[in-house]
Amino acid sequence: MTPRTRRGIEFVLDNLVWFMLLFVLIVFSTFVPNYFQLGIFANIIEASSVLGVLSIGLSLVIIAGHMDLSVESVAALSAMAVGILFCSAGIGIGVQLQPEWLAVPVSLLVAITVGGLVGLLNGFLIVRMKMNAFIITLASFIWVRGLVVAVSGGRSAQDLAPAIRWFGIQRVLGLPLTAWIAVSCFIVFSVLMAKTPYGRHLKMIGGNETATYRAGIRVARNLVIAFVLAGAIAGLAGWLLTVRTSGATANLGVGLLFNAFAAVVIGGVSLKGGVGSLPGVYAGVLLLSSINTAINLMGLPANFTQVIHGLLVLAAVMLDTLKQSVRRRLA
Amino acid sequence: MKRLLLGLTTVLALIGAMLVPAAAQSKGTVYYLVPTLLDEFQTGSVSALEMFLKQVGYEMQTLNADNKTDAQQSQMNDVIALKPAAIILAAVDFNALKPSIEAARAAGIPVVEFDRQITSTMSDFTSVAGTIEIGHVAAAEAERLLKEKNGDVKGKILQVLGDPGDPYTLDIQKGFEEKMKAFPGVTIISQPAMQWEASNAGTIVADSIVSNPDIDLIFNHAAHLSVAAVASLEAAGKKPGEVMMMSSNGAPVGLDLIRKGWLNVEVEQPLYAQAAAVAMFMDKIVAKAEIKPGTYDILGLEGTVTGEAWGPNIKIPGAAITKDNVDDPKFWGNLKPPATPISPVP
Repeated sequence: MTPRTRRGIEFVLDNLVWFMLLFVLIVFSTFVPNYFQLGIFANIIEASSVLGVLSIGLSLVIIAGHMDLSVESVAALSAMAVGILFCSAGIGIGVQLQPEWLAVPVSLLVAITVGGLVGLLNGFLIVRMKMNAFIITLASFIWVRGLVVAVSGGRSAQDLAPAIRWFGIQRVLGLPLTAWIAVSCFIVFSVLMAKTPYGRHLKMIGGNETATYRAGIRVARNLVIAFVLAGAIAGLAGWLLTVRTSGATANLGVGLLFNAFAAVVIGGVSLKGGVGSLPGVYAGVLLLSSINTAINLMGLPANFTQVIHGLLVLAAVMLDTLKQSVRRRLA
Repeated sequence: MKRLLLGLTTVLALIGAMLVPAAAQSKGTVYYLVPTLLDEFQTGSVSALEMFLKQVGYEMQTLNADNKTDAQQSQMNDVIALKPAAIILAAVDFNALKPSIEAARAAGIPVVEFDRQITSTMSDFTSVAGTIEIGHVAAAEAERLLKEKNGDVKGKILQVLGDPGDPYTLDIQKGFEEKMKAFPGVTIISQPAMQWEASNAGTIVADSIVSNPDIDLIFNHAAHLSVAAVASLEAAGKKPGEVMMMSSNGAPVGLDLIRKGWLNVEVEQPLYAQAAAVAMFMDKIVAKAEIKPGTYDILGLEGTVTGEAWGPNIKIPGAAITKDNVDDPKFWGNLKPPATPISPVP
């Protein structure tokens, strides 16, 4: 094999998820009526915003060799906190701030703080108390959702303050601002992971925690920060969820966790830690969103959509496994 | 180690603080097995049943199954061991609970089906609005709305179902579509909002109005789905009333959307009347006395009791809520429980 061919194959493998996305978009555009139009592509990006942001936090923890099952519930709790404070109907108490735009930074702060605090608790128990991440974050997944039900009484908040809702309506280049926020998050955290010592240290920790510790890197501190970031980012995802649905219900975000895991894995992040990049994760999120949109447009029988969704995700993951196999042969 | 013990003590103290001491008994304790507390109808049913049962002398305890059939089966087994005056069951799965119902009745505990009818075995009482009938009411409203808009019953309807694994939404769909079959000029596009999650409904609406810009009417199977649907319409630059919309269950959020002009119709499930009927017949149910077929006045609505193969069954019709009657306090979505206490059926 010539070096040029090898470079070509490696380029394809490195960006396989993007090629998969392109392939899927071409197939759906060809065979699904009404799929090929700018409005639908804008919808795909818009619908990816919440899942995309949630997947960033999850990726950080997984790349660091751990796991965070609580992100879905944390997003729901942050969404409910923002909903109760800044919605004016249902259980919303409709807090009024002057000037009105202050509601945006304050609601963001509330959402991120709520998420960050749960992340801090997770990080403390897992890193400082040496407890198992799977169990601790599973417990958080349960108790945080329980807290959402308890504080809401099962009721919903609606009619979000117009200053916050503006982010879900206002469009720039055909995309709502929520989508731009998600894209910005991916850019910021991609740079953080690729270009800063913190990002490199997280990858090293995920690859070999002991060796990283012996190299003099503060493993515990970096890991706690990763859990706090995962929580805070989940809080931001919750804020976006509130903006997108103009309120919050007790079951808001149910099912997001598994989609986030699927996106992260499809995006090339190894569940063993130490491997992965955020642009790949974003491609994974867009891929899932493209599939969902196609299912919506195809008008498939309701009972089969979940099966089809699962099988398509399975196909994507199998392709990713094939990629790993080809890469090993090349090495 | 000290920190671990401190943490453990704190967690145990929190759990202890949340455990409420058992309520003192009067005529007896009735257990309500609610399928989930994640939607407003179910949480509303807990407070309504508790209030009406208290008015006729019963205490109520609630167990939440979190939409898990196995959890509800375990709860049934636990409750049977407690020998309560009666069990009120809103089943997660209509058929899977059959053996548990039979076990409870064999142990001498009356079982009442609430909201979700189980026809495969005998129960002591069933109080339902009729999910298929809700579909029929919705179809009649869709017929009216399309005729008003297009001059004839024709056009395109986007039907946003709940979770496709939930028989509740499938029954509404069945009732709705069997009535709409009479109108060949109507096209119905049906999509499920997985797990009844609002943002899934929002995505469906956002995609559908782009691919089918000629949609005349959106029918969401729950009011909370309408909130996300409205958010998507708003994000697409639509104004209230531009796309007609209706939903079912009568939750407070749906009524608010009617007032704001986004929602044309909300098909109410008569929650208060359904719950009041259970309480009004509770003495007879506990005493295993005969419940005679006929019509009964339930909070001003006509409830019809029939003797079915699965036991006495009361059906209370759902109502269409529009902007003309949205403020009527009889609708549970207005959260104004009836001021006059109910009395047991003699």
